[in-house]
Amino acid sequence: MDPLVYVLDLVVFIGIFSIVSLSLNLEFGFAGLANFGKVAFVLVGAYTYAILSQIGIPFYLCLIAGASISAIVGFLVSLPTLKLRADYLAIVFLTVGEILRLIVKSEDWIGGGVWGMTVSPAISLAGISARIDTLVNIGLVYFCLFICFLVVQLLTNSPYGRVIRAIREDEVAAEALGKDRAKYRGQMLALGSAIAGLGGGLYAQYLQFIDPYMFMPMLTFTVWIMVLLGGPANNWGALLGAGLVMLFDRGANVAKDYVTLAIDPSNLQYIMFGALIILVLLYRPQGLLRESQVKTKAMEIVRRGRDAVKNK
Amino acid sequence: MEETLLRISEVSKHFGGVYAVNGVSLDIKSGSIWGLVGPNGSGKTTLFNTVLGLFRPDEGTIYFDGRCISNLAPHEIYALGLVNAFQLPRLFPGLSVLDNMLVAARGHQGDRLLNSLFLRKSWQRQEAELADKAVEALELLQLEHLAFSQAGELSGGQRKLLEVGRGLMASPTLLLLDEPAAGVNPKLGRRIFEGIEDLRRKGLSFFIIEHRLEILFDFAHWVYVMDKGKIVVQGKPEEVVENPAFYQVYLGE
Amino acid sequence: MAVNWAQVLFNSAVTGSLYLIGAVGLTLTYGLSNFPNFAHAEFITLGAFVGYLVAETLGLGLVPALVVAFLFGGIVGILCYRGIFQPLAKRGATIIHLMVASIALGFILRYSIGALWGWSPLYFSTAWPSFDVGPLRVTALWLWLIFAAVSLALIMHFVLVKTKIGRAIRATSSNPELALASGINIDRVILITWFIGAGLAATAGIFRSAGTQIWPMTGWDIILPIFAVVILGGIGNFYGSIAAAFIIGLAENLGVVALMALGLSTEYRIAIAFLILIITLIVRPQGLAMLFRRA
Repeated sequence: MDPLVYVLDLVVFIGIFSIVSLSLNLEFGFAGLANFGKVAFVLVGAYTYAILSQIGIPFYLCLIAGASISAIVGFLVSLPTLKLRADYLAIVFLTVGEILRLIVKSEDWIGGGVWGMTVSPAISLAGISARIDTLVNIGLVYFCLFICFLVVQLLTNSPYGRVIRAIREDEVAAEALGKDRAKYRGQMLALGSAIAGLGGGLYAQYLQFIDPYMFMPMLTFTVWIMVLLGGPANNWGALLGAGLVMLFDRGANVAKDYVTLAIDPSNLQYIMFGALIILVLLYRPQGLLRESQVKTKAMEIVRRGRDAVKNK
Repeated sequence: MEETLLRISEVSKHFGGVYAVNGVSLDIKSGSIWGLVGPNGSGKTTLFNTVLGLFRPDEGTIYFDGRCISNLAPHEIYALGLVNAFQLPRLFPGLSVLDNMLVAARGHQGDRLLNSLFLRKSWQRQEAELADKAVEALELLQLEHLAFSQAGELSGGQRKLLEVGRGLMASPTLLLLDEPAAGVNPKLGRRIFEGIEDLRRKGLSFFIIEHRLEILFDFAHWVYVMDKGKIVVQGKPEEVVENPAFYQVYLGE
Repeated sequence: MAVNWAQVLFNSAVTGSLYLIGAVGLTLTYGLSNFPNFAHAEFITLGAFVGYLVAETLGLGLVPALVVAFLFGGIVGILCYRGIFQPLAKRGATIIHLMVASIALGFILRYSIGALWGWSPLYFSTAWPSFDVGPLRVTALWLWLIFAAVSLALIMHFVLVKTKIGRAIRATSSNPELALASGINIDRVILITWFIGAGLAATAGIFRSAGTQIWPMTGWDIILPIFAVVILGGIGNFYGSIAAAFIIGLAENLGVVALMALGLSTEYRIAIAFLILIITLIVRPQGLAMLFRRA
């Protein structure tokens, strides 16, 4: 394979996973919601994209539809758990991931069942090389990533971002301070799922093929490693985590062609992922980058007032 | 002009078979400082929590500003301007002192999802005003130098002050304070009450649980004495201290 | 379609028995340590493979396999608690951190098992021919499973009510501070609970796989209904979990009848447990706990 295309392909994957990682960071890092079913929303986005694009709907509408349906599913699933403790939400979301995969696996009419289905790429130009084709994908993916990043940055550096962090810290106190935690949590899960759904749509169109086995629970936890490693409640951390984990993943894939190990490398990789999570939780629970502060005008005003006092 | 802000009417709250609050009725009128005292376990904090909607009363009704609030959720009661500072501060430890203050603001346009994304102009001025207000309150409480510190790093006394400050940020009509002077040194305790008196002159009303009677009685206009879930004595502080029943509550057994 | 309702009821008892043995450990550790241990699934899987090692590789038979799996599972449970969850809790980990760590632990165990035994299914060599009892078609394995679940219920009841450690477990689960104040060695109580809980999960793994197959997903395949049992029964509530295990066992088997009647895949049976889970959360998040006083 063309080594340049190989590198560009990695860049596309980092972009897609950065989008999903941003969405989990919004839910878990900022809002304290343990979404253990992230893969379900990637799946919804991917299958929506695949099915709609098959009937000739333009790719951008397919992407938007994937995000929207994913948001609706995320919101509906969250409803029974919004007022309950974090563990209930985790169990319900994990289960939803399993059941959605079961549905697309059992129902051949949805996406070809276990045989999967081919997906048409978003932008296909006649007669271009693999290099250019991957570059076009990079453009599309990073444009979407830019939009998502802008949204989460604006949101988390606003009074709204302050409220969701407060609910994460102490939901009862936040409620006593007039914040309707169920409403905020529902909104966060809807938005987080929309972003994950967008990631899913991009994933499907880039690989041009989907089947149920691409949406195993492992995908959810790969994204969790990204967020935990990069630094929860820091959007740059989510990007850093996505980059590092994808590099490691790809590196391990390359290494296994050259190194012979006593243990099957694909098993070893997951064992190492598991160990990595536990080590991060034990020794650096704040991740590589610390939580970012809420940057609004208020911060400037207080800082300016302070400087004024100092200069007197 | 005095008007009834809060009316508690025949309210009871029991846990299992034990009545924590038993048929309490009282009125809180605007423009004054109202005290609630009584020995530990007499039901004061339970009464506050019931008023705030954290517990639902088993019997009786609660009115705020003429409106029945017995069945409202805590955040809805807060939105009406009935605000509380917890006895044990419940701060957001991972947020800065400044953010702890700002998050308590009532009716902030920027608390809405779409405003925070698309209508950023709609709340910028409000945010600036709140920042000024927060600085003012932090100065009053001598916390200004800690504005960017994490709330989790504060000392016990500072947490207490921040909890009170957070109550002020909401521009409440009536502020419930549960032992604002507990756990801070006597001098600071008195200063907090002086600050409360300043705010009262600006039109705020207070309903305060306080164990430090010597401070409370210098500032309160009316005191309710609670024992075993009931109001047993009430009156002006100077009348209450003359009342033998008041001593019985504290000394009796 | 003629349905043998007696058979459906019997199958429900078999399913319920398996879920009970699988769920008891999860509900007790959940109630005591205050987080759901997702690696419980892998304790089940591990038990199945250790059982396979003893019964097939060493050729010692199923009864020694059950005993060794129980002890080995229990020790792994203690090691996991001591090595991962306790240090995390001491460092102030949140419930979310503990849950994530348990998933991570699950991956470590699952793929270690995959590395040791491979991912192709293995089978116990003992055959369990079915025979008819009245209108029922049964196998000896199923009868043993029901017998094991009933014995477990009786023994656990005796332990929880009559013995010192049982009372300590109940006291710690309902109010840790009070238990500590009354001189209970909480650390020991928690370790014993993790030992028993993981040990029982391991035996459930053998019961699950003795008549079917073993692979690294054996535990994961049944963890969702087991979670439904724990939530429906009320977290940490042993008696609740008995009732919940049989309710979910019954619902699944009735559901299978319904799915077949509707011409849908019977794989959807896990969706039935999920539905019960969701309904529980909406109607009664504390589960059946209030119907059964204590533990």
